[in-house]
Amino acid sequence: MDATVLLALRDPAGVPFYPIVFQILYILTWALHAAFVLLSLGAMGLSLYGSAKGNQDKHWSILTPHLIQTGKISVSILIVLGVAPLLFTQVIYDPNWYVTNTLSGMWIFIFVYTMIVGYCMYYWYYYAHKAQRTGHSLIGFVSFGILVFAGILMHSFAVTSIMPHDWMNMYAPNGIVNTSGWTFNMDIIRLAFMVSLAIPVVGIFLQNYSRFLSTRKDFDASFISYSAKLGTNFAVVGLLISAVLFVLWMLQIKYLFHPVSIATIIGVLVLLAMAKTNRNSYYTTLVLVVVALLISTMRELIRFDIMSALGYSIYDYPMNLEIPSIVMFLSTFLIMGFVGVAYLLTMAWKVGKREGVFDGSKDVVVTKLGQATLYIMIAWMAIYFAWGITTLFKNIL
Amino acid sequence: MDIIGQFPLFYFPEYGSAWMMGITGTIHILFSHTSVGAAMLFAFLAHKAYKENRSDYYPYMKKYGMFLLIFSYVLGSITGPGIWNTATAASPRGISALIHNFVWVWATEWVFFIYEVIGVFVLVYFIDRIDRKTHLKLTYTFALASVGTLALIIGIISFMMWPGTQAFYATGSASDAFFGINTFPHMFLRIGFMIMMSGVIGLVISSSMRKENEELSNELSRKMGYISIIGGFITLFFFIWYMGTLPENAHAVFAFSKDAIIQNRIILTLVFVAYFAIAIIKPRWINPVIASVMIGVILISGLWSGEKLRESMRKPYVAGQYIYSNQIISRDVPGKNIKSELPIIAEKGLLHLNPFVPARLKTITDENRKDAGELLAKMACSNCHSLEKTGVFRPLKDRLTGMDKEGIKSILYAMGEGAFSYMPTLKLPETEYDAIAEYFASLHY
Repeated sequence: MDATVLLALRDPAGVPFYPIVFQILYILTWALHAAFVLLSLGAMGLSLYGSAKGNQDKHWSILTPHLIQTGKISVSILIVLGVAPLLFTQVIYDPNWYVTNTLSGMWIFIFVYTMIVGYCMYYWYYYAHKAQRTGHSLIGFVSFGILVFAGILMHSFAVTSIMPHDWMNMYAPNGIVNTSGWTFNMDIIRLAFMVSLAIPVVGIFLQNYSRFLSTRKDFDASFISYSAKLGTNFAVVGLLISAVLFVLWMLQIKYLFHPVSIATIIGVLVLLAMAKTNRNSYYTTLVLVVVALLISTMRELIRFDIMSALGYSIYDYPMNLEIPSIVMFLSTFLIMGFVGVAYLLTMAWKVGKREGVFDGSKDVVVTKLGQATLYIMIAWMAIYFAWGITTLFKNIL
Repeated sequence: MDIIGQFPLFYFPEYGSAWMMGITGTIHILFSHTSVGAAMLFAFLAHKAYKENRSDYYPYMKKYGMFLLIFSYVLGSITGPGIWNTATAASPRGISALIHNFVWVWATEWVFFIYEVIGVFVLVYFIDRIDRKTHLKLTYTFALASVGTLALIIGIISFMMWPGTQAFYATGSASDAFFGINTFPHMFLRIGFMIMMSGVIGLVISSSMRKENEELSNELSRKMGYISIIGGFITLFFFIWYMGTLPENAHAVFAFSKDAIIQNRIILTLVFVAYFAIAIIKPRWINPVIASVMIGVILISGLWSGEKLRESMRKPYVAGQYIYSNQIISRDVPGKNIKSELPIIAEKGLLHLNPFVPARLKTITDENRKDAGELLAKMACSNCHSLEKTGVFRPLKDRLTGMDKEGIKSILYAMGEGAFSYMPTLKLPETEYDAIAEYFASLHY
């Protein structure tokens, strides 16, 4: 693919805002999405171990259902968070996104239904484990396998999208057009690195879990200590494995001495030290977020460099500024999004911190956040209809 | 170098690739509409429960919520991006046009989605762990967030049919594209259907509670019956209004099967009015099996046929009446500096302009004419028609039965002159018409 073709594949409508903003949003939202992919993978995987152990072990009998629940909720969140990076990538990297989707059309279709089957089975695993039905571990293993396969497909799409040199050969090998949509590509080291991150992520999650529950009187101190140690072991071993795989990946693509790569390695070492001492896992999580952002930046850097070398720069994308809709997005994201999510998470935090019923109506923060969320949403609706009616009247009268 | 920005083609044999989007879309509509409807229903029930001190409503809401988690927040949330992915594989430029016009609208919808997804877990799992006043407020915000998702997606899918006025073409503004004349009728038509669906699903839950509490089960089944009837009435009312806001080409397609569609809708209306009336008058007659079967009836007889119709009525366009289903830009949009590709295609041909056509097919010769014709047919026709002799989805075998090469060519010429309002006005160089006609003729439909 040369620059002429790649540039022609950009949408003629142009981009509605500065491309760098989409690029930053992509990096940010991919990191968020990946965090929950890794948490679900780690929590699901570890729950299978707990499930196979049965209810004999007093610690695992508490931990396993919590891990299953964590995996279950994380999958929902990773799906919704995954929408944003998909959205932003296809605004600026049209050639990569659309060519991959068409070349792998059949796998795209299979991916959707693989996710459905895998996630439905995961709910089955949740209920079967709750009822301690025979074979619940097997259901868990199958659902885990299916969801991992969906992850491998998503990896294939990402790899295909950064192989512009080979697209023509994938579509029409030896000049014979293949419209079957069965294109599949893998990069084993990159995949192994990404998957390995699930181990430290679940490790740090367990440290947080233990810290969060340490104030609850209904949880035994030995359980709190056990889950913290387990988390530390997972975090430390997992970070070492991930670090090795990261270095291998960087060596393979010759980016080891790139500043982003070095920053990631330093980040991992800091994380390693913090996870090992486990003084305050909430701070460790903040550093984990920074490392996730660095990994997301590295992915973007690889793609950006591949495309730039071919003469495709996202910064040259023609722009048709679209002010009203970005104002809508930014105000919704920054006002409603932050206040609303703060409301839900504050409530969830406070409910989780105590036994029995939480009276939110007596809690000043929850009450104020709830009231603010409600008023913001009502105002949002009013503005929406006013905007719509005004536009419509302007255009039809 | 002359190039138009077309992508590789994905074609599923016998069916084409658009049906994949159709299946995913139909499933998604069932789940997503139920989700928004249920959010409104929860707000209504929580309001009643709080004001009338009806604590017995909470177990029902919890049970409904647990069902909703799988029904809407597993199946619905996966098929949402699923439609997007499969539509991209089938119609990359159509989706690209929507994305590049409405990316911020979609991003705003994403904010509401995040609130909804975290909100549903808080709402369901903490129903017994938070006080009722806080729970009530939470249900209000949850309902508003759900309706917000509809408010945002509706303008985009309405634009797919058409912008409704000429303003968008001149300004290129997302507001002019989003708020067309069909946006609000379309919105309230779907709100009606969402309310109805919340009642239909509610009947599965209420009827399954009979053993635990028969009196409550009957009371809630009656309520679901009323809610469904109100929702159904809103749907019908706005459906009629919505139909009046559609463009000419949509009515041309609708006219083909108008009688059958009207008959189908009358039968469905009668069946469901009877069903809801039974729920009100004799709630004991409703059981979970019947209630589940009725969901299936809606899915197959109502949604699948409705979505197929909506997709057909857009023809020959896929988005905004400026991109054809076969991924060709068919008109200028000065507000966005978009130029029609039809003149250059008429002059140079699709094979020459499409960057993914291999070198051996760029120039038509006696040796490659049939292969070139096959590729051209896939590029120009396969988004809407299956090509094989055994094709299933709007098969060309039914349209070109017994025709020879010249007969087929005459149809292609007529299309190139815009003879059919529901087909693309696609004028090609003579060599390409010839190659397509030769390929179809060789199939001996």
